Amino acid sequence: MSEPILKVEDVHAFIGQHHILQGVTFDAKADAVTVLIGRNGAGKSTVIRTVMGLLPSSKGKIVYKGSEIHKKKPYEIARMGIGFVPEDMGIFTGLTVEENMRVAMLHDDENTAQRLERTLDMFADLRKFWKREAGNLSGGQKQMLSIARAIVNDTSLLLIDEPSKGLAPIIIESVIGVINQIKTNCVVILVEQNFHMASSVGDRFHILDDGVVIHSGLMEELVVDEDLKSHYLGISKESG
Amino acid sequence: MAGETPVQIFHLEERKSRFRSAGFLINTGVLLLFLSVPLLFPSFKTVDLAVKIMIFGVLVASFDILLGYTGILSFGHGMFFGLGAYCVALVMGKYGDPSYLNFIFGMVVATIIASALAMFISFLSLRVKAIFFAMITLAIAELAIVLATKLSGFTGGEDGISVSMPGIFAISFSMGDFMGFEVTGRIVTYYFLFLSCLGLFVLMLRFTHSPLGHVLQAIRDNVQRAEALGYKTFIFQCISITFGCVVATVTGGLYAVWVGYVNPESCLGVTTIMMDVLLMVIIGGMGTLYGGFVGAAFVLIAQTFLPDLQDAANSLFPHVPFLHNILERWLLIFGILFILVVIFFPKGVMGSVREFIGRRK
Amino acid sequence: MSETTFRGWGRGIAVFGTVAIFLFPLMGMPAKTYLTLTIAGLAMGMLLFLVASGVSIIFGLMDVLNFAHGALFAWGAYVGFSTFKVLMNWVEADSVFQNFAVFFIAIIAAIVVVGLIGILLETIIVRRVYGSHLFQILITFGATIVLVELIRVFWGPNDEVMTVPLTFRGNWDVMDVIVDRYRIICIVIGLTLYGIIQLILKKTKLGTIVRAGVENREMVQAMGHNIFLLFTGVFAAGAGLAALGGLAMAIFSLQVYPDMGSTYLLFAFIVVIIGGLGSVTGSLVGALIVGLSYNYVAYLVPWAAAGANIIIMIIILLVRPRGLFPVGK
Repeated sequence: MSEPILKVEDVHAFIGQHHILQGVTFDAKADAVTVLIGRNGAGKSTVIRTVMGLLPSSKGKIVYKGSEIHKKKPYEIARMGIGFVPEDMGIFTGLTVEENMRVAMLHDDENTAQRLERTLDMFADLRKFWKREAGNLSGGQKQMLSIARAIVNDTSLLLIDEPSKGLAPIIIESVIGVINQIKTNCVVILVEQNFHMASSVGDRFHILDDGVVIHSGLMEELVVDEDLKSHYLGISKESG
Repeated sequence: MAGETPVQIFHLEERKSRFRSAGFLINTGVLLLFLSVPLLFPSFKTVDLAVKIMIFGVLVASFDILLGYTGILSFGHGMFFGLGAYCVALVMGKYGDPSYLNFIFGMVVATIIASALAMFISFLSLRVKAIFFAMITLAIAELAIVLATKLSGFTGGEDGISVSMPGIFAISFSMGDFMGFEVTGRIVTYYFLFLSCLGLFVLMLRFTHSPLGHVLQAIRDNVQRAEALGYKTFIFQCISITFGCVVATVTGGLYAVWVGYVNPESCLGVTTIMMDVLLMVIIGGMGTLYGGFVGAAFVLIAQTFLPDLQDAANSLFPHVPFLHNILERWLLIFGILFILVVIFFPKGVMGSVREFIGRRK
Repeated sequence: MSETTFRGWGRGIAVFGTVAIFLFPLMGMPAKTYLTLTIAGLAMGMLLFLVASGVSIIFGLMDVLNFAHGALFAWGAYVGFSTFKVLMNWVEADSVFQNFAVFFIAIIAAIVVVGLIGILLETIIVRRVYGSHLFQILITFGATIVLVELIRVFWGPNDEVMTVPLTFRGNWDVMDVIVDRYRIICIVIGLTLYGIIQLILKKTKLGTIVRAGVENREMVQAMGHNIFLLFTGVFAAGAGLAALGGLAMAIFSLQVYPDMGSTYLLFAFIVVIIGGLGSVTGSLVGALIVGLSYNYVAYLVPWAAAGANIIIMIIILLVRPRGLFPVGK
């Protein structure tokens, strides 16, 4: 069993006066895709944003590759090799695809250039629309761009927040394919409400409810556990 | 008791303990203090200070209605103050004789103009971002000063207008003795102003504690939620802004009565009136009407003793002209003080007190 | 509607509006007067652009409302004034080289000094009030008071006359039209700065990051860029632009006085409302509109000059509250 690349220990976080995270504890192992699932408002996105430093934690520890990051600024955390794909994709619509990628690229060396090539190989559309204004891309293309930006550096940990949101099923399939390709190079933590996506790429899962992790385990077990699914995810026994 | 909701029980208990609370005792104490000032400290300087604290206290509280309760920052408040002062001065000084009727007439005219202007301002505040609104109100205020100075035929220009008071308020009036004190026009005016300011302040308190006031606070805290609840936020904001501005106007009229002289710089000036109001509201505490008085007292007392401070500096450090230069530029000191208060003490005195009390509960 | 449709509208209105403003007054005056006024309007517009662009970008990137911009403008003028005083013989010299040299030295001095003030302002004061527009207005208002009073302390409270370098004085006679030399210089300065700013924004990585940050500050941070350093830098750059504008305006109006910032700040804000927050091109177009209309109206109906701009601003607020070239969130 490998060391967890990310350890979140008893983290509390507030948004304004609302106590959103009430003691979240989980870890992400380096050899698995970890999925955070749960109902709306459970705090999944908040966890990701707190790990990324975009939200301050009032209590608790976050340890990445052995270093404590919960007091660091977001840009320091990003530079440690953590990539972030936000819920709203965070695309710079007035900039071209090329410019979006350039903002993402933190170094101007050979390695980054090669990674850029490999990334564009993975996302053919981005190469095609290289000089196009990012605001003109389709929803699926924007999602690809957002992911591409997050992996073009030497990313060890990729945080993805609800990538399937608002996407057509066929696009979701290609996103699933992309994540399955990426996971060989870096550790992925995925926040997802769409159970099909979660189960297609995830190896381990943590269920979040009311700001705490209430259940963890292997994805292959969750898939067959109808009670758990319906109780915490609202997935009815018929559909699943 | 059966049938009483928890909220009703809570209100009942609150009302019962009201007369014993510290706040009430302090309020009464302050009122008694102001009531007795002309009797205990008859020097003009002190009485003048007391009047200014009362008037500015009400003015700042009216500004707080806009800033703390409605959440908008308008640099035009000084203009409303000046509007009231000028209307009263024009009606009683320039174009009519000093008479009680003219005084009331002047106030009414000022109120009407103020209401119209305030509604224009509230419409503007809706349409523009905060900073542009602030800038525009500043521009309008400065325009008012320019108009007052340039239209000298009408307004007396830079020289301003003198006002004398009628009847029992006249400076020369004397009603003889009362328990060993000579009851002059000044004293009568003092108590008139005392009652007026008290009345205005109570009015504002009732406004903010009314259902309308509570809706306003809801709007201030979360506009979208208030709208989702069905409140036409704009109308509420309009009413509250108009109310605050009209009170400011009335205060200006009262000021003219006491000082007996209006001119652009002393009544409309941004660096004079508006800057003072801002400093007072920050020191006193936004969103707490009482803060207006605390801030006014603090700033006015400091201003009164500033010349003494300058003298002290002169005698302690006689060979440092730079220091003298700086102290002479009291506006500079004001500005620095203002910045420091905004950074380190943004809740002001009343705000911190309330927070302290809230935490102890 | 997508951002691009709006931008199309914005361009349409801007082009139509500018052309209309350009041509309409021609009906009321002889061609030569028209040309003189146009040049005066363009020159004034360029100076306003320098101040307004700083405000626009600072707000677009940092979401900070900087009331103190006018004071920075005034400081730039005064630093330039002192530079000219120290090097007065170069100013008065009958040498094109020396005149331009002292001008550039003044520009650099103004930009450096005010840039430093900008850095101090941002790190010590503005940084503490990120996130609250109300406190930003209050604190930068206080900063304005302090900065203007410091001008009075260092330079005295009176108006001072600004000497114009010899080469910049007087007119050129171009095809029988008398053209004020300095006004042309202002137009050149403005266009050059616009070009430089656009070049930096569009062609350098730093500029791209700034543009990205204007759109989504948080994302830029999450992508590994030290946004606070960026903020300070942009704030200082905006301050430098204001300083340049102040210096240029001092030469333009032949005087400096402590409160000169507030008049022009009001104009600058009108420009930004018309042009749209966060857009440099918007600032340029807005500034030209304000400058031109001010000069045309000042000639035709003198007392209404400032009012005309306020009317245009009100029209824009009613029709397109985010301005002609809105950027953003």
